[in-house]
Amino acid sequence: MLRFTLSRIGSLVIVLFALSVLIFVVSRFGGGDPVHAYVGGNASPDAIAAARTRLGLDQPVVVQYWDYLTRLLQGDLGLSLSTKRPVADELSSRLPATLELAVVTVILSIVIGLVLARAYSLRGRAGGIIRFVLFSAASAPAFLIATCGLLLFFGQLGWLPVAGRTSYGASSGLSGFYVLDGLLTGNILYAFDALKHLILPATAASLGPGVALARVLADGLDTSLRSGYARTARSLGETESQLLRRHGLRNAAGPVLSLLGVQIGMMLSSLVVVEQIFSWNGLGQYLVTAINAADTNSVATISLLLGAVYVVVNTLVDLGLAVLDPRVRLS
Amino acid sequence: MTAALSVASLSVNYTRTTAVDDVSFTIEPGQCFGLVGESGSGKSTIGLAVQGLLTDLRGVTTHGTVTVAGTPLDPSKETGWRGVRGHRVTTVFQDPMSSLDPTMTIGRLLGLVAGSTAESTRWLEEVEIREPATVLRSYPHQLSGGMRQRVMIALALARRPSLLIADEPTTALDVSVQAQILKLLSREREQLGCGVLFITHDLGVARAVCDEVAVLREGKIVEHGSTAVTLENPQNPYTQRLVASRLTLHSDRGRPVGLPEATVVASMAEARGIQDADLERQWTEGSLRWSDFRAEDEGGPRAGAPALELAKVKKSFSTGGFGRRHRKDVLHDVNLRVGTRESVALVGESGSGKSTILRIAAGLEQPDTGDVVVDRRRGEGVQVIFQDAGASLTPWLTVRSLLMERLGNTVTGAGLDRSQREAHLRTALERVALPASVLDAKPAGLSGGQRQRVAIARAVVVPPSLLLCDEPTSALDVSLACSVLNLLNLLRHDLGLPMLFVTHDLAAARVIADRVVVISQGAIVESVPSDDLGAAITSDYGRRLLDAVLS
Repeated sequence: MLRFTLSRIGSLVIVLFALSVLIFVVSRFGGGDPVHAYVGGNASPDAIAAARTRLGLDQPVVVQYWDYLTRLLQGDLGLSLSTKRPVADELSSRLPATLELAVVTVILSIVIGLVLARAYSLRGRAGGIIRFVLFSAASAPAFLIATCGLLLFFGQLGWLPVAGRTSYGASSGLSGFYVLDGLLTGNILYAFDALKHLILPATAASLGPGVALARVLADGLDTSLRSGYARTARSLGETESQLLRRHGLRNAAGPVLSLLGVQIGMMLSSLVVVEQIFSWNGLGQYLVTAINAADTNSVATISLLLGAVYVVVNTLVDLGLAVLDPRVRLS
Repeated sequence: MTAALSVASLSVNYTRTTAVDDVSFTIEPGQCFGLVGESGSGKSTIGLAVQGLLTDLRGVTTHGTVTVAGTPLDPSKETGWRGVRGHRVTTVFQDPMSSLDPTMTIGRLLGLVAGSTAESTRWLEEVEIREPATVLRSYPHQLSGGMRQRVMIALALARRPSLLIADEPTTALDVSVQAQILKLLSREREQLGCGVLFITHDLGVARAVCDEVAVLREGKIVEHGSTAVTLENPQNPYTQRLVASRLTLHSDRGRPVGLPEATVVASMAEARGIQDADLERQWTEGSLRWSDFRAEDEGGPRAGAPALELAKVKKSFSTGGFGRRHRKDVLHDVNLRVGTRESVALVGESGSGKSTILRIAAGLEQPDTGDVVVDRRRGEGVQVIFQDAGASLTPWLTVRSLLMERLGNTVTGAGLDRSQREAHLRTALERVALPASVLDAKPAGLSGGQRQRVAIARAVVVPPSLLLCDEPTSALDVSLACSVLNLLNLLRHDLGLPMLFVTHDLAAARVIADRVVVISQGAIVESVPSDDLGAAITSDYGRRLLDAVLS
C-alpha cells in the first residue's frame, strides 16, 4: 500500500507540474495582453514599457516560468491585473466560500445517492414514481433547478433566503466556513442562518450528481448481492443485513467512488453558474468578473486552483479504490 | 441414528417451470450421496432448497419437508433456518474465485466462522494448506484455484456441520487438482462423520466419491441406488445414455461415442448414403466405424504438405503496470505440425499456453518470433470454434445472417446466387444435425447444444483449410458433448478437414484426434499417437495428466 501511495503521489506531482506549465503558457500566450489590463487602454508607451518590466514580461520565458513557479510555491499568487491587489488577498474570503458550498454539495450528493439507491430497490409503484421524479430532476441542468427552487421556496413560500451567504455580515471566525464558525463561537443562530443560505445552492448543484451516484450504487449493490460470494455468505448463515454491511457495500463502493471523482470535477464548473445565480461571493463569481476584466493572472490562478483540486480529489479517489479493493493495490 | 438429511416430497416451482418434482431421499451421517444430472435437471435447486436458500422468494413456490439432523424445516419459510444454515448445513460451491469475497483476506473471512486465528490456522492445516499464516493474510486473487477451493472447504467445515453440500466442487478446477480435492473431501467426511450431498454432472467424479447416487432428470429422480450398481448396470434408459456418454481412456475411438441420437444418426446416414435405421443398427451393433466414411481412403492422414506448421514460435506478454512492466514468456520455441486430414489435440492445463497457440494459428495473435504457415490450397481460411458458443454468436443476428456472413466472405459464396446460398446453408445445418427451421432463430432462442452446432455449421459452411477448436465440449453436458464430438469426427472423416483441438480433457482428446500433443508451461512436452495413448505417454507431466483422468 505504501508503494502504491508513493507512486500515486509521484504521478500527482507530475500532473500538477504539467498543469502549472499549461496554465502558464495559456495565460501568457493565450491572447489578451496582461500589460493592457494592468495599465489600461490609454497608457503612454513609457508606462507600458515600465509595466512590462514591473510584471517581468521582458525576461526570457523560462525565467518567467521559474519566477512564476517559485512565487506560487511560496503562496504568492501574483497581483490581480484589474484591482492591483494580490490575488491571494482576493481569494482569502472567496476560497472558503466556494469550499464551504462544495463540501456541503458533495455531502448532500452522497446522502442523496445513498437514500435514492435504497429507493431504487423499492418494488412497485412507489419506487417507480421516485425513479421518475428523480430522473426528471437529474436531467435538468443546475441553473434550471436553482431558478425553480428560488421561485418556489423564496418567491412563493418565502422559506429560504435568495442570495448571499448570511443575513448578518461576514463571519469573524477563523475558518471562513460560516456554519462552522457559527458553531465554534457558540452562535447557533448565525450557523443556522448560514445553513439556510446553503440549502438552495447546494441542492441545485447536488441533485444531478446524487442521482448518478444512486444509479451506480444501486447497480453495484444489485450485482454484489447476487454474486457468488453473497451466496457463500448466505450459505454460511449470514443475515441479509450482515451481508450488506460486510460484503455488499464495500464491493459496490468502487464504481461509486470513481464516479464521485468525476462528479466533483463537474460540480466545480456547475458551482460557477450556481454562485452567479445566488450571488454567492466565491471563486465562481470572482472568475466571471476576472474574465470580463481580461484579468489573465486571476483567471490563470483560479484555473490552476480548480485544476489542482480536481487532480488531488482524483488521486484521493485512486487511493480510496486501493483501500477498498486489494486487487488494485496488489496486482 | 438420526439421518444427516432427509428430504420428503420436495417440489420447487419457478414462475413457469417445475425445477424439482416430488423428490425424496435420505443421507446418513458419514454417507456421500451423489445427485447426478445434466444442466437444468434441478440438482442445484435441490442444493439450495435443503439449506433454506429458496425461502420467501418471489416467483418460487416450494413444497415438502427438509429434515436436517433431526430438525424438520419448511423450505418455503425462513422460520427455523437460522442456526441451521451455515451451522448444521454448509456448502462448497463450484467456482472458488467468485465464491470468495475479493475484498476480504482469508483470515477475516475464515475468522467469521472459525472464531479465532488459532482455529482458522488449524482449519487451514486441516485442509492441507502448507503455509497457513501466509494464506490467512492473503486475498482470494492471490491464491491458485486449488488453494481457493481448500479455503472454501475450510470455511464450510469450520462449524462442524452435520451435512456438507458439495455443489460441483471440482468442475472449475484442473484435472490434477480435482483428484486432490476429492480425496480431501472424502477424508474430512470420514473424520467429521458428516453426511455429504454431492452434486455433479460428472459420472466419473460421482463414481469416485459417492456411496449412493440418484440420477435426476427434469426435476425427477429417475434412478436411485448404490453407486456401483446404478452406474455399472443402469436400468433407466436415460441413465444408460449418460453412462454410455462418459468417455474414458478405454472408449473405442474408431467408432462414434455414446448411444445413437436421432439427429446425429440422420447426418451420418446422409453422409454414408444409407437409411437412418440401418445406420442406427450398425451403430448399436458396434459395426459402424469412422473408417467407413469417405475421405479416409484418399491417402493417410499425414500425407502431403502440412495444413498447419508452427516453427520455433515464441510469444511473451507484458504484465504489470507503469514502471514495473515485465515480460512473461508464454511460449518457448514451439514446433507443431498438423498434417493434411490430420487431427491433432493439444492437451494441457490452464495457463499452459495451449490457447495462445490456437490464437496464433488463427491469426488472432502474432508470434514474437518464428514462422506460422497455413496451407490454404484445400479450403478457405481458418475457422475457430470457441468454448462458449453463446458468446461467439452475435446476439441480434439470425442464424441465417450469421451463416451468410461467413458464406459471403468466401470465394465459394461469392460465386453462388441467392437460392444456391440458401441451399448451402441448409446443407451445413444438416451436417451438424440441425433442422432448417433454426435459420430464422436468434442465438438466444436456441439451447446451448444448438448454439454450439450453429457455431460449427458457420465454421464449415464453406470448408476451411484448417478448423481450430478451443474446448468446444467442456461447457456442455456429457450427452451433448458426445454428439458434438461425433459431429466433429463426422466432418473430419467425411470432409477430410484438418483440425487442431485444444482441450484439458485427455479422454475427449483421444477420441477426436489422431495424435495428442502434451503442452506444459509454454513448451511441448511430447507427441503421442491416440491409438496407444496410455502406454505411449512417457513424460512425467503427461503421466500426471493421465493419472488424473478418473477411471
